[in-house]
Amino acid sequence: MTKTALVYIELNNSKIEKVCKEIVSKANELASDIEVNAVVIADKTTIRNSQQDLALLNVKKLFIIEDNIFDSYQCCLFSSVLSAFINKNKPDIFLMGATENGRELAPRTASALNIGLTADCTDISVDESFNLLATRPTYGGKMMATIISETRPNFATIRPGAFKIENTLVNNPEFVYIQPETAGHELLLEVLKCETKQQEEDWTCSDVIIAGGLGLKTKENFEKIYTLCSLINAKPAASRAAVELGWAPSEIQVGQTGNSVSPKLYIALGISGAMQHMTGITNADKIVAVNTDRQAPIMSASDIAIESDAAAVLQSMIEHSGSKQALL
Amino acid sequence: MVFKIAVCIKQVPDTNDIKWTENNTIQREGLESIINPFDVGAIELALKAKKLLTHTDVQAEVNAVTMGPLQAEEVLRTALAMGCDNAYLLSDKRFSAADTLATAYTLSCFISNILPDTKLIICGQQAIDGDTAQTPSSLAQKLNIAQATNITSLEEINNVYSIWSQETRGFSRVIKSGFPLMISTAINNSNIQPDINGYIKAQDSQITVFDASAINADFNKIGLKGSPTKVKKAFVPEIKRQTVLYENMQPAQCAEFIFEEIEKCRTDYD
Repeated sequence: MTKTALVYIELNNSKIEKVCKEIVSKANELASDIEVNAVVIADKTTIRNSQQDLALLNVKKLFIIEDNIFDSYQCCLFSSVLSAFINKNKPDIFLMGATENGRELAPRTASALNIGLTADCTDISVDESFNLLATRPTYGGKMMATIISETRPNFATIRPGAFKIENTLVNNPEFVYIQPETAGHELLLEVLKCETKQQEEDWTCSDVIIAGGLGLKTKENFEKIYTLCSLINAKPAASRAAVELGWAPSEIQVGQTGNSVSPKLYIALGISGAMQHMTGITNADKIVAVNTDRQAPIMSASDIAIESDAAAVLQSMIEHSGSKQALL
Repeated sequence: MVFKIAVCIKQVPDTNDIKWTENNTIQREGLESIINPFDVGAIELALKAKKLLTHTDVQAEVNAVTMGPLQAEEVLRTALAMGCDNAYLLSDKRFSAADTLATAYTLSCFISNILPDTKLIICGQQAIDGDTAQTPSSLAQKLNIAQATNITSLEEINNVYSIWSQETRGFSRVIKSGFPLMISTAINNSNIQPDINGYIKAQDSQITVFDASAINADFNKIGLKGSPTKVKKAFVPEIKRQTVLYENMQPAQCAEFIFEEIEKCRTDYD
């Protein structure tokens, strides 16, 4: 029998959360004969506005649970609708993005279904019996743990940025409309005020990221990363240590407790490369590390490790970027 | 009637000293332990709720609960010293090796059997050892009550409803909800400190211990037995890159080298 994976599609201002596309890409790679389907919960207007985007999903069927009561996300409501759907649809594997909403919707739904759930996975695969092997960092990124679940569907949330979106052929998903049972749901929160934060440009998958750590020695030196980035059109990032010292805002922190990034080139200036940092850059195509300490963990975990003074290198790059701009 | 608030706290191991059992779960006994920082945030909110309720002439009490080995009593004493009124320890060999589903079930049995008229449950968003953030939402579902996560402050509370601020990457919201309600908080840098009187009170307080029978738990739904997820393996991730090391490179030369790499990556892909 065909094995199925179901992906929950989260919409944010009628746009598909990027992690959902990443999950669909990965799910299609889990097995050659896998059937990947998706489910979305929203009101009519949102579905209409996101129709084009949804039609590009590389899934066989897209189940649309549509009702005007879904015009804003409500955890308890969405969870009961979703668990009812899972009970009928019975996928073998169920995946959701570990977004802030996903991190509350998933456990509530798993609990309603009395099934296991593995949070915030950075890698997934299946064994010969189609059991999901869900791997996640644990203990602040010091260890990785591969978790299996004895209940179906095998359910996991996936960390944003953990997988790449492959540009595969579009499957032209079949849209299947589902009538929800939404009668009398009393566990709604009343939203008195809501300010949507300006969504910053997603920098985590830009082609070149230049990241700085303690090896830059001072905040002033760290700030030169911004200068260089604007000169050569790259994006700045920071290690946890740099953020904790107040050199950089947490938004640009890379690692287990920060962002996962997937640039073509990751340049680490004065970063020692603790395990929790390295988990965040697994998906970089190439890592170039500059550090004065040849024994720093990052020096044996990069593609290119250069023993040099990161602060001086940064300064030199700024000074010479003028002559390079045509090339870059 | 007393307005009952429950705070769920967890004793977490010092992550620098991890040992694994043969079941691939954490060997907790003998580990240096601390109170999970997010749970201190939960205690802070609970004490604030109690204070605000007292101002509106509603009598309130804060009940701290934890599940763990007998040594988890330590974090309960800390909670009492910080100002919680009562402390309850759920301890039983049968509770051990619980995943988040079994933990949530166990906590829900305690609340519904021992403190059934609890109106507000406050949890830390996540524990720093597992970082899953799953138990609070699962607990709310088991009790079939409303929930709100990512809470950063309490704005208003009375006998009928409460108003909270919620902060995520995508939005800032102010939400209102009646009771019962489960709140999980993102505050992980609370600096409430017990004072000397708190410590004295905590020393003298009685901590009640409940086993599985005492909270009426189904033995098949607790501990390892009630946990569908299992750690198949735990490992230090291997590095898959073949490193080329350049020793003692002059900064200017290194800068040049990196420019070449940037150029290469941009021409390769464009």
